[in-house]
Amino acid sequence: MSRPSVAAALVAVAAVLTGAAPAAAQRPSFPVTVRAANGAVTIPRRPARIVVLSASATETLFAIGAGRQVVAVDDKSNFPAGAPRTELSTFRPSAEAVARHRPDLVVTSTAANRLLPALRRLRIPVLLEPAATHIGGAYEQMRQLGAATGHRAAAARLVARMRRRIAAAVRTVPRGGRRLTFFHELTPDLYSVTSRTFIGRVYALFGLRNIADAARKADAFPQLSGEYVLAANPDLVFLADVKCCGQTARTVAARPGWSAIAAVRNRRVVALDDDVASRWGPRIVDFLRRIAAVVRAARS
Amino acid sequence: MTALELRAVGVTAGGRAVLADVSLAVAPGEWAALVGPNGAGKTTTLRAIAGLVSHAGTVLIGGTDAAALGRRARARRVAVVPQVPVTPPDMSVADYVRLGRTPHLAPLAREGAADRAAAAQALGRLDLAGLAGRPMGTLSGGERQRAVLARALAQEPRGVLLDEPTSALDLARQQQALELVDGLRGSDGLTVVAAMHDLTSVALHADRVHLLSGGRLVASGAPREVLREDLLGAHYGAAVRVLDDGGELVVVPGRAAVAS
Amino acid sequence: MGARRVAIAAVLATAFLGAAATAGVLVGPAGLPARGVLEALGARLPLVPLDSPLSATQETIVFDLRLPRVALGALVGAMLAVAGGAYQGVFDNPLADPYLLGIAAGAGLGATLVIAYGPADAASTLLLPAAAFAGAAGSVGMTCAVGRAGGRGATGLILAGVTVAAFLTAAQTFVQQRNADTIRDVYGWLLGQLDTSGWPDVWLVVPYAAVAAALILAHARPLDVLRVGDEEAAALGVDVTRVRLVVVVAATIGTAAAVAVSGLIGFVGIIVPHAIRLLVGGSYRVLIPLSLVAGAGFLVIADVLARTLLAPAELPIGVVTAFCGGPFFAVVLRTSRLVSA
Repeated sequence: MSRPSVAAALVAVAAVLTGAAPAAAQRPSFPVTVRAANGAVTIPRRPARIVVLSASATETLFAIGAGRQVVAVDDKSNFPAGAPRTELSTFRPSAEAVARHRPDLVVTSTAANRLLPALRRLRIPVLLEPAATHIGGAYEQMRQLGAATGHRAAAARLVARMRRRIAAAVRTVPRGGRRLTFFHELTPDLYSVTSRTFIGRVYALFGLRNIADAARKADAFPQLSGEYVLAANPDLVFLADVKCCGQTARTVAARPGWSAIAAVRNRRVVALDDDVASRWGPRIVDFLRRIAAVVRAARS
Repeated sequence: MTALELRAVGVTAGGRAVLADVSLAVAPGEWAALVGPNGAGKTTTLRAIAGLVSHAGTVLIGGTDAAALGRRARARRVAVVPQVPVTPPDMSVADYVRLGRTPHLAPLAREGAADRAAAAQALGRLDLAGLAGRPMGTLSGGERQRAVLARALAQEPRGVLLDEPTSALDLARQQQALELVDGLRGSDGLTVVAAMHDLTSVALHADRVHLLSGGRLVASGAPREVLREDLLGAHYGAAVRVLDDGGELVVVPGRAAVAS
Repeated sequence: MGARRVAIAAVLATAFLGAAATAGVLVGPAGLPARGVLEALGARLPLVPLDSPLSATQETIVFDLRLPRVALGALVGAMLAVAGGAYQGVFDNPLADPYLLGIAAGAGLGATLVIAYGPADAASTLLLPAAAFAGAAGSVGMTCAVGRAGGRGATGLILAGVTVAAFLTAAQTFVQQRNADTIRDVYGWLLGQLDTSGWPDVWLVVPYAAVAAALILAHARPLDVLRVGDEEAAALGVDVTRVRLVVVVAATIGTAAAVAVSGLIGFVGIIVPHAIRLLVGGSYRVLIPLSLVAGAGFLVIADVLARTLLAPAELPIGVVTAFCGGPFFAVVLRTSRLVSA
């Protein structure tokens, strides 16, 4: 056979194979039983009208290709921009308001207001996906959402991709030498996070030392005193109260005594995106990459 | 049989003996007056009889040990008219008088026809029928006094305990109130035990007078026997004069007693 | 004259409750047609030849979400109003409300502990109401123990209640602070909610509320006698201590059950009895039953407003009772002065 023919044949075979493989992976496997935080949930058919009450779950669903099956998301789900935002509230979820969208699956991060039993009474399957406490937990939720929506393979690929990228980001940071200290600011009145939290564990991947961990018998979200932060003199300060409370490097430097902190002097006060820093969806990767960049710069 | 008897009744409060070893008897239909200076224990004696304060000794009501009687049984025999009654301003006169039927009802029962009739009768006898629907807060002092007496009447007691029944009233009201009670005594055969400070009124109405001083009973007897200048002067710590006005005693403040 | 006024008030209160209940079933974010709902309701009655035009889901919304919600609102409103009136009678204090003896603080602490340390779906199980009930009952027990040790009768009890409430509130704040990520959930619970997941939530409250209301109703006359003070009431043959004990225990149990399921809804227990008092006088034989009906209607209406003012979002019902109760009470104050008794 001539070269071009072989090549064409190879291309054709490859096309068939790649066309077939995803089709095989996406062969609907319903009914499916998913184990979420509210126990085993059976979903009879591939859901076509999903209502989401969780900003992180919204991001995940759209990332695994289930976006077209989503008919309504809560008022805080602002990413991706095309998601069908409504006035549904995660603070006081109303089963009736959810039912108005005639969902065949509800994904929620909150069980408040007796939402779950009410939805059960309405015979609407609901998956409870509360805030993840570690990255592995976030991956698990993505797998659950993939299985529940008929996108198992896409979810698996998403998780694998995230793993690779996170590992790569971590590798770009040189180890050895003095461990850098940091302060993660949740609110202007100095609520922080310890290493027992999701965010805290993310920071720990980079070998950073969290000044909030010294709060002995620490709550997960201790409130630190200004005095303590000054004494701890962190090398890095991460602000997660930018969008909500208007904090910036400038406002931080203006606080009495803060201009002496290493992070402020060396201009290592980092304004994070509040949403990215508080969710456990696919954009964890963005968060990690940002931290990696900051740490690299600080070490150079 | 005596209507009321106290045997060695004593009351201690805050370590102090407010009343000690008081023994007296009251015949049915009698008006017994308790006299004595402030703090002598008149009110305490009344409260002991009513079972409102714990006491040593025995109180016999109608021959029965009061301690053996239940709260309600005691209230059916003895009605208390306090010195300063609590009169809820927004309670109607009719409702207030009907409270007097409480000891005749089972603990959670409502008034029956008989109870309502008794209350209405009490209202009528004290000339309050026209005021029945008015709130207590809109009554004059005299009308309120009558309402309190009507409530006591509605209890259909055998005896009435009055604590300083005239201290808050003017002269005309004082007379009215005491005449009222005396009238009820006559028509209903009520026994009256009254703590009184106006000794002339005591002389007018009382059958027997009991003088209390420092928590002890120092004299008992007919008015003439107890309302004597030396006795009163010694225990009241004040100079008094006892005058005989055509058979009626009049007690007035006076100079130091002159040896006669 | 008084009897006629009472009769009018009773009719008005009942009509109010009926209107509120109707509104409660017709209104909601699911946007069901009013006529359809009425037909569906009628179809459930025996001997009525109507068919329900609603879909299965819509029927579930009406009969398993809205109707129980109205029932719960009526139950809780009635219980809180009656308990408030009872406490006002027992303590002879117009400022008394059902949370006087520390119930609110105790229930809040129980709920906070479960929300903070319990499983993620604790709010959907019986764990949350049980903890709130235990906290409420426990706090009153503590108050009685402290109050008895201090002596001084009713006043001592109120003071003990203030102390216990302060202590338990501090404990609750401490726990809440240490688990700041659950603050929103705790706050939401504290503000009160009448959302139900169906009739089981209602049945949770019914036995306690029924017994409590029955006991308090039975003691309405003794409460009237207590209006002349402890001494005179005792002289009239009333066992003052026992009456006080029974009424307090009954009001406590009923309130604890209501609070366990619907959180801390304020204002109802203090304002409704006062409004009734201003309109028909202070006799407890009239006040207690009327407070029952008026309290039920008031809370159901408040819930309707909570669901509609910012639809489809919901206002916390405690906010509505305060915002609407305030002006309403001011109007009652004014009108009662014009119609001076």
